[in-house]
Order: sequence, then C-alpha cells, then structure tokens
Amino acid sequence: MERHILGYKCRGCGRVWYPNRGVCQDCRGIEFEPVPLPKNGKLLTFTHLHNLAADFEVPSLWLGIVELSNGNRITGQLRIDSPKIGMKVVGKVEPVRQVGYQTHHGMIFYKA
Amino acid sequence: MRDVYVIGIGITSFSRLEYPLVEIAAYPAIMAMKDCGLTKVDHLFVANMGASRLNHQTALASAVVDHLSLCPAGAECIENGPASGASAIKAGYMAIASGLHDTVMVIGAERLREANNLEATDFVASLTHPLAEQIYGVTLPSMAGMFTRLYMEKYGVTSRHLAMVAIKNHDNAMFNKFAHLHEPISFEGILDSEDALTNNPMVADPLRFYDMCPVSDGGACLILASAEVAKKVKRPLIRLAGVGQATDTHCVHERKEPTDLLAVRGAAAQAFKMAGVKPSEVSVAELHDAFTILEIAESEEVGFFKKGQGHIALAEGYTGLKGKLPINPSGGLKAKGHPVGATGVGQAHEIVTQLRGEAGERQVKNAKIGFTTNFGGFGNNVVALTFIKEK
Repeated sequence: MERHILGYKCRGCGRVWYPNRGVCQDCRGIEFEPVPLPKNGKLLTFTHLHNLAADFEVPSLWLGIVELSNGNRITGQLRIDSPKIGMKVVGKVEPVRQVGYQTHHGMIFYKA
Repeated sequence: MRDVYVIGIGITSFSRLEYPLVEIAAYPAIMAMKDCGLTKVDHLFVANMGASRLNHQTALASAVVDHLSLCPAGAECIENGPASGASAIKAGYMAIASGLHDTVMVIGAERLREANNLEATDFVASLTHPLAEQIYGVTLPSMAGMFTRLYMEKYGVTSRHLAMVAIKNHDNAMFNKFAHLHEPISFEGILDSEDALTNNPMVADPLRFYDMCPVSDGGACLILASAEVAKKVKRPLIRLAGVGQATDTHCVHERKEPTDLLAVRGAAAQAFKMAGVKPSEVSVAELHDAFTILEIAESEEVGFFKKGQGHIALAEGYTGLKGKLPINPSGGLKAKGHPVGATGVGQAHEIVTQLRGEAGERQVKNAKIGFTTNFGGFGNNVVALTFIKEK
C-alpha cells in the first residue's frame, strides 16, 4: 500500500494546510478533511546537518524544504547527491527516524 | 499604566557551572539585591526552559524564592523557549505597570551542561513541530542552515560576512568577564587557512562551528520597580520604556517568505512605538545571535537597516564596538553564551550596564537608549524591549 503524508482541507474555504491546525487561518473554519499531499515539487532550500540527535545512526543528514505541486510546503529528508535550490524532486514516504521501538515515517525526497 | 524601572542587576558567568540550578538562579539575585539595596520584593518570575527535562526539577520558582528567604513573596516560572527570559521581564513589567506589585525580581537560570551536547541539541529541538519537523531530525542549527542558504542566495550574504559577526562578537566578549568564550578568532583561523575546515568544520551547511553559539549554563537577574521605589534607590534611573511581542508559524516551512522574520519585525515595532523611540535613535543593542546569520537578519527586521543591507553595514564597521550602532557589545549569544531560558535576562543585564555607564572596556559612548531582541523557536515567538536612561 502506498503511503501518503496528509494535508488538511478546510471544509469552509477549501484551503489545504500542512500540518494540521485547529482553526483555518483564512476563514476561521474549524472542520477539516484529510487529503493526501502530492509528492512532486521543487526544492526551496536545504542543509547538510552533521550534528544529529543521539538516536540517529548516520553521521549526517540532508534536510530540505520543498514546495509541492499544490503549493503546500513540507520539511523532509533528502537523498540527493548535489542538491540545488529550485531543482525538481519527488518524495516517498519511508522510515525517517527510529525512537526506541517506534518507527516514524515521513517524506524523503529524491531527484525527479 | 505606571512607569517601570530597572533598579538592580546581577549575573553569573555564562559557561559550565558546577553548582545546582537553584544556586545558579540565586547568585545573580543576591547580586541584584546588593546592587539596589532591597532585601525584599513583592514577587519573583523565574525564566527557565530545561529544568524539568535536563535537571529533573519542576516548580523551580518555589525552590528559588525559599532559597533566597523571600517567602511569602509570590513566585512562578515562565517557560517560553529561548525567549523565556524576556517573557519573564515582560511579565514583571505588567505586574508593576498595572499596580499589582511595586517590586518584582526577574531571574533567568539554566543548567544545560548537565546534558551532553547531543542531548542539549535534541532538547532544544523539542521546540520544533513534533510530526512535521522533529521526526526528520530537524534541529535549530539545521533551520538556521536552511535560512542562511536562502539569505545568501537572495541578498548576497557570504561566509565572510558570517565570520565578521563571529569575529566581532568574540572580540567584544574579551572585555566581558562573564562571557563563556574568551577566545579571539580571525579570518585566517576560521576561513582562509588550510586548517580552517579543521578548526571550523561544517555543522549545518553553509553554517560552520564558529557560526553557532555555545551551549551555556548561566543566570541573570533584574529587579524591576515602580517610579516611587526607583527614586528612593541611589542608582541611575533606567526605564523599561517599551515591551513588544509577536509570534509566527510553528513550522518554518509555512512562512510565505522564508527569509522574513515577521515576529521580530512585529515585536520590535511594538517596543519602539510604546517607548516613543525610532530605531535610528538606539545607542546600543543586544540581538539574539544564536547563529551569526541571525544578527544580520534581525538588525534588518528591527529597523536598523533596510532588508538585505545588514551585512553591508556590518562590513563597514557600523555595528562594531566603536561603530555608530554597536550590536552585541557583550559578545552576544555567539561568545557571551546562550543559557537558553536565561538569555533574555542576560541581554537586558548588558543593556542596563551600558546605559549606567558601567561596562568598562566595552562601554558604548553616550549610551542613552538600549534595545534587545530575544528570539524564541526559530523566530516563532519573539520579545523585544526598549530601555531609556533618564536624567
């Protein structure tokens, strides 16, 4: 089964938010329905982080912010050799962090 | 509202402190009481971020008020991430301005070094969004790295400009006996030589080791009072004239323009308007330079320089100790240190010291108006303060 990251569509005005919020910034609506976020987008910015929290078993991580094709933005990990601002990327929902017995899934972006 | 004055100040070294958190809080408080001659206050606000998680201590204010033998004065903790210190000053301001109290002690105290560096970094990262940021391994340095890359692309800031902030603030800290780092640095050592990458490795590309503040323990204290009390105390009259606070999205990725720090802009505008002061009238400022890029960006957002011009003013020496507007004469978070919950109180301590004319070798000439920005989260909760020296 293909996994998705969910956005939250306001039932009042239709705007999709990510992550979820209790009140819509635009119309003050309080009802939302979950919708899958697209996985294609462009890389807005990134960093190569060398000082990680103790539970990561890799020496470094590439992290970035991506603007998805529907306009939502998302933070994620990158598996790209030489990332460039503005490059097209595609995401997959995969394990991103293991905290004790809990595996967190999130968006990992690859070159499109 | 009533006017509010700072009548007493105290501070510890910002470094690794080998004594309990309650004593880190109490030491600057005792200094501040000695400074103004008061032996009692109506209320205490204690700013701290990590006690419950890193020091296994809750209700710190209750412990501190008794350790200082100030019972039955009211006491409570203020936790607002790295902006806890200035938030506590704001709470003290409101208590006196409203007439509820005549004297309030504001303490900031932190003992971060009880944890190792990785634990401390992970602890500070707990202020990010749990599901949309933390799970990916996002830390504050990584956010600063992503912000810096955009700032460089958009405004032409270079690694050399970032190094200028670090060198300036390390130089300033040499004149501050309370600073964490007494270590002058040079372009040769951190940027230009063959050894530079060893001395100054990448942490969150494009930010290197010397673009980051140290992890510090430390405490600082201000005693605030009404005009009636302040005029009886034989200390220079320093008025807390403006208080501003603004917030922004929890997730950095949700900001329309990722290089804008709207909470800094909003908080500063309020603090200036309330004080009836323009940014161009400020004599000395302490800005929250947890990362070198933040000193540049905040100097623009608070209104000292136009957007994209901060690095140019820096390169021209405008913000140096002998420049027209010295920024971070204490050494800033970069070299004075960053005991997170105490930082905002430490910034105010420096401004009061400067306005009193008691800053010694780092004294800014004719300092009359001082300003601080205490930056919580990655700019999602910011408190700005304006101080005026009265005759």
